[in-house]
Amino acid sequence: MSVLEVANVTVNVGGSDVLRDVSLQLGEGTWCTVIGPNGAGKTTLVESMAGVRSVTTGVVHVDSHDILSLSERERARLIAFVPQNPIVPPGMSVRDYVTLGRTSHHGLLRAPSRADRQAVAATLERLDLARFVDRDVATLSGGERQRMILARALAQSTPVLILDEPITGLDVRHQIDLLTLLRREVRECSLTVIATLHDLTLAGQFADRLLLLRAGAVVADGPSREVIRSKELSESYEMGLRVVDVDGADVVVPVSNSSATT
Amino acid sequence: MVIVASTSVVAMVLCAFGGLAIGPFAISWTHILASLLAHLGIGHTRLTSLQSLVLWQIRAPRVVLGLLAGSMLAVAGGTYQGVFRNPLADPYLLGVAAGAGLGATIGIVNIGDGLNVPTWTPVLAFGGAMLAVACTWLIGGRGLRSTPATLILAGVAVASLFTSLQTYLQQSSTSGALTRVYLWILGSLSSASWHEVLVVLPYVAVCATICVVAGRALDVMSVGDIESRALGLPVHRVRLVVVVASSLGTAAVVSAVGLIGFVGIIVPHVVRLLVGTSYRRILPISLFVGAGFLVAADAIARTVVAPSELPIGVVTALVGAPVFVLVLTLRRNRVL
Repeated sequence: MSVLEVANVTVNVGGSDVLRDVSLQLGEGTWCTVIGPNGAGKTTLVESMAGVRSVTTGVVHVDSHDILSLSERERARLIAFVPQNPIVPPGMSVRDYVTLGRTSHHGLLRAPSRADRQAVAATLERLDLARFVDRDVATLSGGERQRMILARALAQSTPVLILDEPITGLDVRHQIDLLTLLRREVRECSLTVIATLHDLTLAGQFADRLLLLRAGAVVADGPSREVIRSKELSESYEMGLRVVDVDGADVVVPVSNSSATT
Repeated sequence: MVIVASTSVVAMVLCAFGGLAIGPFAISWTHILASLLAHLGIGHTRLTSLQSLVLWQIRAPRVVLGLLAGSMLAVAGGTYQGVFRNPLADPYLLGVAAGAGLGATIGIVNIGDGLNVPTWTPVLAFGGAMLAVACTWLIGGRGLRSTPATLILAGVAVASLFTSLQTYLQQSSTSGALTRVYLWILGSLSSASWHEVLVVLPYVAVCATICVVAGRALDVMSVGDIESRALGLPVHRVRLVVVVASSLGTAAVVSAVGLIGFVGIIVPHVVRLLVGTSYRRILPISLFVGAGFLVAADAIARTVVAPSELPIGVVTALVGAPVFVLVLTLRRNRVL
């Protein structure tokens, strides 16, 4: 039984299709990363899945609900979404920011309940943010900030988590720390995660499944190891990409077109 | 937070009491207190009938109207700053001032023929204000598809149009009417009566309550439209409700007291400096601070050049700007 089902989704913007007939099914506890060159339609796809963008044709189901037929509040109880460049309002405390994730649970007219506060405290604890609770969000480092944004999404307690470029702007150690943290959450909470990533090595190492987009269409979809080694990957990026085995891990190395052909 | 909230309530009560006590006709504060208690069924009033008339028919409605107007303008300004995520927003952002200005000018110049016609001017000002906001809402993305930027730009366009129409009307009016329009634009509480208080009260009560309750939604909206929707907020509906409430309340107030500037933009900012960025705190405290501030400004406006009066808009700016700079400086130096 799939938790998330995307069926024949096409998104037309200004007369051209930025997403063409995309279909996808994801089961519980699966991590799928969407990869592809700039302009391939990754962000459009994840925004369509999150219900923050309407689709031209096709349908997205989460737990058998057509997400565009749900109210914002109902949808926010099924899907947590973090866009590529989240707005972090200066002056807000880390606790208040993460508590925003509980909005769909307590509603607009009620204060967060005890259960909401407990869920926030538990998330802050799990993501090692408990010591920052009273800090102004603007004073956090890049790594702490991204962890806090992830905490807000996890505090929503949804079965599906959608993240658009969650490791942008982080150094390599913080990138791996954040993805490791996310993998732990996927396993412990049986989350279904859809993320977009530009780093193909990390995409291959951390996702169960990769979906490769090119010009709005799916050109490869399958287990990470297979997609990383597929010829469609090099074709999509229009350059040579070599996969090197380093201690059992696939590392994607770009090579110049001349050496790729030799 | 609790200290700031209780201080603002005490300050508002003191300002209101000061508003009752201050004036060219001397009434001692003990007599005012006794008269207030007498109205609550405790003890007896010691006022003469003339003093009673001045206190209850001239000063009291003026103070109450000032409290209502100040609280509504401050809350509406704070709400607009939140809903448009724009620190420069004030209650007149979507054309309320220009619309009310045009309506009042029509009332004073055309219908009143240069004379003040109390029955029609507020009604036309209110109608003009609501018409301007409706135009802004329709132009700025046909309501539910609007974004903060399109609404603000539409507000600028509508305000320009209404202001130019008002200027055209003023051009063709007599100098007496021109003066009246000018004074109306600067705002005044001098024509306050219990009748006006009763007309304005239901608007302010309902609209200010809606805005204050919306504080939690405005906090969510501080992360932008897309993320707010993803967090479960019906962004367009919330924006519609708070814009209608703020505009309706502001239009009611403006139609009664004219275009009092500065309260709507400065009060929420001063409160923000004191209690932080959460609208759950800013809006209720702005309610009290705005009310107290306007009554204090009115007391100054009617005493410094007595027996004539300064336009209250002049006082709100003259007092408000230094107070704002003072709070900003103290906050920067971590004194507050």
